[in-house]
Amino acid sequence: MLAGAGAAGAGVVAGFFARPGTNPGDPAGGVVGDSGVTVPFYGPHQAGIATAAQDRLAFGSLNVVVGATRADLRDLLRAWTTAAASMAAGKLVGEDTRPYAPPVDTGEAIGSPVSQLTITLGYGPSLFDHRFGLADRKPSALGQLPALPNEDLDPGYTGGDLCIQACADDPLVAFHAVRNLARIGMGVVEHNWMELGFGRTSTTTTSQATPRNLLGFKDGTRNIKAEEKALMDDWVWVGGETDQPWLRGGSYLIARKIRIFVENWDRDYLKDQQNVIGRAKVSGAPLTGGGEFTAPDFAASGSDDQPAIPANAHIRLASFEHNGGTRILRRGYSFTDGIDPQTGTLLGGLFFIAFMKSPAQFIRLQQSLAADALNEYIQHTGSAVFACPPGLHSGQRWGDTLFT
Amino acid sequence: MRTHGNSTRYSAIPAAQPTRGPRQARRRFAPPVIVLAAVTGLALASAGCSSAHGSSGSQAGQESGSGKTTAVAIDLTPRGCAPRPASVPAGEVDFTITNKNAGAVSEAELRTSDLSKILAEQENLTPGLSGGFSLDIQPGSYKINCPGAAQQHWTFTVTGKQVGPSWQSSTQLAAAVRSYSAYVNQNTAGLVARTQAFCRAIDAGNMSQAEVLYPKARIYYERIEPVAEIWGSLDTDIDGRWENPVTVASQFIGFHRIEQLIWDDNTLTGTPKLCSGLVANERQLLTLVRSAQYNPLEMASGATDLINEAATSKITGEEERYSNTDFPVFQANVDGAMEVVSLLRPYLTHKDPALLTQISKRAAAVMALLAKYKASPGYDDTGYVEYSTVLHPQRRQLSAAVNALAESLSGLSVQVST
Repeated sequence: MLAGAGAAGAGVVAGFFARPGTNPGDPAGGVVGDSGVTVPFYGPHQAGIATAAQDRLAFGSLNVVVGATRADLRDLLRAWTTAAASMAAGKLVGEDTRPYAPPVDTGEAIGSPVSQLTITLGYGPSLFDHRFGLADRKPSALGQLPALPNEDLDPGYTGGDLCIQACADDPLVAFHAVRNLARIGMGVVEHNWMELGFGRTSTTTTSQATPRNLLGFKDGTRNIKAEEKALMDDWVWVGGETDQPWLRGGSYLIARKIRIFVENWDRDYLKDQQNVIGRAKVSGAPLTGGGEFTAPDFAASGSDDQPAIPANAHIRLASFEHNGGTRILRRGYSFTDGIDPQTGTLLGGLFFIAFMKSPAQFIRLQQSLAADALNEYIQHTGSAVFACPPGLHSGQRWGDTLFT
Repeated sequence: MRTHGNSTRYSAIPAAQPTRGPRQARRRFAPPVIVLAAVTGLALASAGCSSAHGSSGSQAGQESGSGKTTAVAIDLTPRGCAPRPASVPAGEVDFTITNKNAGAVSEAELRTSDLSKILAEQENLTPGLSGGFSLDIQPGSYKINCPGAAQQHWTFTVTGKQVGPSWQSSTQLAAAVRSYSAYVNQNTAGLVARTQAFCRAIDAGNMSQAEVLYPKARIYYERIEPVAEIWGSLDTDIDGRWENPVTVASQFIGFHRIEQLIWDDNTLTGTPKLCSGLVANERQLLTLVRSAQYNPLEMASGATDLINEAATSKITGEEERYSNTDFPVFQANVDGAMEVVSLLRPYLTHKDPALLTQISKRAAAVMALLAKYKASPGYDDTGYVEYSTVLHPQRRQLSAAVNALAESLSGLSVQVST
């Protein structure tokens, strides 16, 4: 977990996106409160992984454009570091002192509290092809995911050379981060796809209440928590096992756009919904009783001699008990792209994000979910995997350990 | 084209405008302000860079001596719109217009003394609302005009000494502006001549010949379009698309109406009259550009506008949707922008060589992508393939290159104005 930015997730520095020359404490800039809290950008791990999950997400998948060179990419990562560190501190990406130059910062976050903004960078498998001389830096664990159950992937929401995950409690602040980094990158990178997430669906620290996803169920009850240091080291942070030293202290990010057919789900009767998930809808308690945080008893039988938590219940198939102990750190968000123009039904669901020591963890879990009762109501429509480098110390820049 | 419906530039926020803070807040819900043109003495200046409550683009490098802003208040009443004070020193003037109780009056305009040109206006002020505009004004006599009032015209005087633009002291910039003026004149003359050839084919009932000559005329317009946009309604008459911004059948009269008839309706019926009207409008444009004066900032932002235009309406195939002849006009946008860069090169070589290198590199990337679609003689003799054959991934690639070029071109304006 982040040194100095761990469970509580944040430093105590009040931050606002102030226009240069203005006083952030100025009443005109807003009222200083919790939302002005910054999360340290620098540390042993990148912020935005163990950080207490913020409420909002902006996620950009970007591709390097044809013709851009290794030097272009290296320079961009340096420029991004400066800009990201600035924004995470509640500062704009530059000062606008020249009336006849386009504003350096796009401006929509001016006056907004920094809202615990974190910006997390990841490298996709395709970045390590022949284009930038990085083939020998490719971690052996970083590859395209195999075909997985219940997916029908839209090429428009798949892959990417780079990703930027921006999380904040204010949607405009998260969006501002991705927009400005993409703008800085113009000529070197272009957006492959982008997604906005509203409403976190996971808890990443013990201090947070468990939120609900669009199924109406609590999500992330059994997630790894940042305080569980041994679990974080065992399942989330890349360690000495990697063949690429630059990645140690980093983590693999897997993003899956999971459409939920909410209309169908909403027609399912309550008892069946609970059987599909394996938990009581309101309390979040497992069907074997107790409270939300009571461990599910997967061996227990119900009155009909069938398992109390059905064999195809989501929490059973996704559990570490069912998967040789395999765990991941989930950090997803609900999303919607509006209404499906073909059907008039909701185009939305879960923008699943998880961090792990190796993509093999997700692959195992997802293969287990082939029999998931929930599959009737969901479909994976987008997918990407990225290797997120470790955190930076002050003065260090993204890519420094990659372009050596 | 960039129609005037969406060519309005967002108000630039000058870095320092301390005098306006509280006033802007007060006007937050006021109706939109249109500054149609900046005032440079008798020069006809572009509206392309001016903005409500921002310094006018055509005043680049011409901040007048005092740097002070003078406030002028205008109350709209049934009687009229007397400016207070009625005489101000040259420089930036900030007009605040308030409709107290004038039900029949809802706008105030700043016009040249002969009333022929609107320099700035605030419309849609119903009783109780206020609004305004700011601009740099050169010495001279002007009129405040408020249609519907008992006395409609009110004299407004600007005193002091005329301040010449400081860019004129740079021989390189002055030469670039002169050459650009010639380039615009030459292309507008070419536009008239090529459109006449297009009309002759139409008059002769030769549709296939008309199809070939249509894009050959269009490219002249697409090289200089930001200049033509100064005269908004003329731009619409020549180059307006149906929904953008025309939407009234009787006013859909330009190139794209003829394009629709030829390619979509497969007829020449009605096109001879439209074509002669088009030529008449182009001749009017030619007269106007011959007396127009430009400045380096307009050239620079015009170059960005051209590539923005390529990025929005060419990449999508929206502009030439009936004929699919987007490639030659795409190329014309790039050519027009790079002509500006070429003219500014001697100046930029010293001023910002890194920017010049970046622009050149990105322009070369765009040209290399365009070259992939060249064909001989090509679709409708355009030298390119038909645009509808370019598929989604290729369009994305073009789009990334074009946006990168526009982004670097946007760095020109500050270099030619400081």
